[in-house]
Amino acid sequence: MLDLFSNLALGFQVAASPVNLGLCLIGALVGTLVGVLPGIGTIATVAMLLPITFGLPPVGALIMLAGIYYGAQYGGSTTSILVNIPGEAGSVVTALDGFQMAKQGRAGPALAIAAIGSFFAGCAATVLIAVLGAPLTKLALAFGPAEYFSLMVLGLIFAVVLAKGSVLKAIAMIVFGLLLSMVGSDIETGASRMTFGIPELADGLGFATVAMGVFGFAEIIRNLDTGAESDRQLVQQKITGLMPTRKDLRDSAPAIARGTVLGSILGILPGGGAVIASFAAYTLEKKISRDPKRFGRGAIEGVAAPESANNAAAQTSFIPLLTLGIPPNAVMALMVGAMTIHGIVPGPQVMQKQPELVWGMIASMWIGNLMLLIINLPLVGIWVRLLRVPYRLLFPAIVVFCAIGIYSVNNAPMDVVLAGVFGLVGYWLVKHDFEPAPLLLGMVLGPLMEENLRRALLISRGDATVFVTRPLSATLLAIAAGLLILAVLPSLRRKRDEVFVESES
Amino acid sequence: MTDAPSRLSEKSVFPKWIRGPQDFIGGLALVAVGAFALWASSDLQGMQGFSFGAGTAPRIFAVLLLVLGAVLAITAVLVDGEPMAKFHWRGPLFVSLAILCFAVSIRPLGLIVSAFASFLIAALGTPETRWKETIIVATALTTACSLLFPYALGLPIPLYPSFLIR
Repeated sequence: MLDLFSNLALGFQVAASPVNLGLCLIGALVGTLVGVLPGIGTIATVAMLLPITFGLPPVGALIMLAGIYYGAQYGGSTTSILVNIPGEAGSVVTALDGFQMAKQGRAGPALAIAAIGSFFAGCAATVLIAVLGAPLTKLALAFGPAEYFSLMVLGLIFAVVLAKGSVLKAIAMIVFGLLLSMVGSDIETGASRMTFGIPELADGLGFATVAMGVFGFAEIIRNLDTGAESDRQLVQQKITGLMPTRKDLRDSAPAIARGTVLGSILGILPGGGAVIASFAAYTLEKKISRDPKRFGRGAIEGVAAPESANNAAAQTSFIPLLTLGIPPNAVMALMVGAMTIHGIVPGPQVMQKQPELVWGMIASMWIGNLMLLIINLPLVGIWVRLLRVPYRLLFPAIVVFCAIGIYSVNNAPMDVVLAGVFGLVGYWLVKHDFEPAPLLLGMVLGPLMEENLRRALLISRGDATVFVTRPLSATLLAIAAGLLILAVLPSLRRKRDEVFVESES
Repeated sequence: MTDAPSRLSEKSVFPKWIRGPQDFIGGLALVAVGAFALWASSDLQGMQGFSFGAGTAPRIFAVLLLVLGAVLAITAVLVDGEPMAKFHWRGPLFVSLAILCFAVSIRPLGLIVSAFASFLIAALGTPETRWKETIIVATALTTACSLLFPYALGLPIPLYPSFLIR
């Protein structure tokens, strides 16, 4: 317990330095700015803004990136409340009741509750990270290669179970991602694999490149399909009165609490993250509500719960990354990319060797949430004006900005071409109803999985049973197998699909 | 499920026995990717005793993808599924061209020319573009990017065409 306080104190000391405070503020602001733009999700936002953190020292860069991340999320909710076009998948359900509230002239309270809920969830999640950080790190140090491999299998299976749509297709996407991660030089032997003599591929496919293609460019192309100006019903009423009434607060307080708990749990699970958390929280609220008919017609709980849940999940998803070095979702995978650029290998060693980095980032999360609460409510007017920019002017700007961003990662024109190719691949995947998120997760975990599989088999002298004879590894694999069986059972599948049905209505 | 009315009977280029064209083509494409990866990694070292060669993991994943793709395609024959989604050409074509234009021109022509040209090409991606406002916004964006990236962020991106500097 004493450790906890001294760790957090160290964190706040780092995060509260003027430079880091400034970076946190800029990150949160820029993240919100880009996140507000319709059709740019969190992943694309983080990928797009990655290059602007390159010139910073590692701590500052990570603090800024974390700020960009939850800024983008908050921006996404603003968009879904005001325009009924969710800026990102995590706020799809917020649009259901949030937009109705806005139409009733209550956009102010909806935005305020979203911010307050997010802030509360952020505080709770920060404490949870601090509490769970140390014990999980100890556990991680007891892990051998076999356990690591099994843990990653479990994580990928979680991603499949929690993903939307066909289980088979989600697994196929993960394997596709694993295969893509094999491009480039083999770490052990140095042999170049599947590079076709293209020198830019020797280092492998850049993760930011693929993410930008599949999530950025593909999204733009897909939006153009439906016509640039399709149904953007911006709320025209002037936003008056931000403060929620006392009744609003009373109604939403329990919803915020439930959303926070649910989100925190789902965030830690690999493959979960913000999207699933907000869906689940909304479904839960609707289920336990005394009057479920109010949902979809401007119920404030329908804004409070998913917003708290997605922010809690966004933060707790840092736990597996910081303690085990395993990114549980695509955004965390991008964080790994950022850390690697700064020469940091995420995992239990970082927690021990560079405590100021880890705890500084954790403390900055809390500060960042506070900043979002303070700066964003007064700035709503600016975000609204931004939303009035027509898409026909917005999308070429995003294309150019993304292209510059990718180019600046390695100063390689080839990366830009590759991102374009992956944009087309992503467009094709969406048209065939494949989810791109598992692909990204597979791509990040690919090298880690190969390395641990290799080492495990080398240590066991080629005996593949090592994965089931070591108790910890066997347990993890058993859970993975159980989950997979459950996921394909018809009864549970129906339940799972029910959770996602909201988005299509 | 199996006796659901077939939506693909009208105007579908696919024969009747393919009951889910979307997944059928999707599965076949994955098989093709898997097969291609197998061929591309065929020159790599395989297992040596019990230690992995450079080619082992790529081949494992390639075979897995091939099998999964095949299962998906077979399922599409056995069970009713979605018809093919409609593909559009205008958006993908011009956005890709804009990206390509940027990649080709950034080194020799510099950020100003490259960003401006890419913006205009991308704008062709929708019929709703109005050229006057597009050119104004393109100019503003180019100016902003020229200040932001090389100066504010200090990234080594060339601003002007290289033949002008020399």
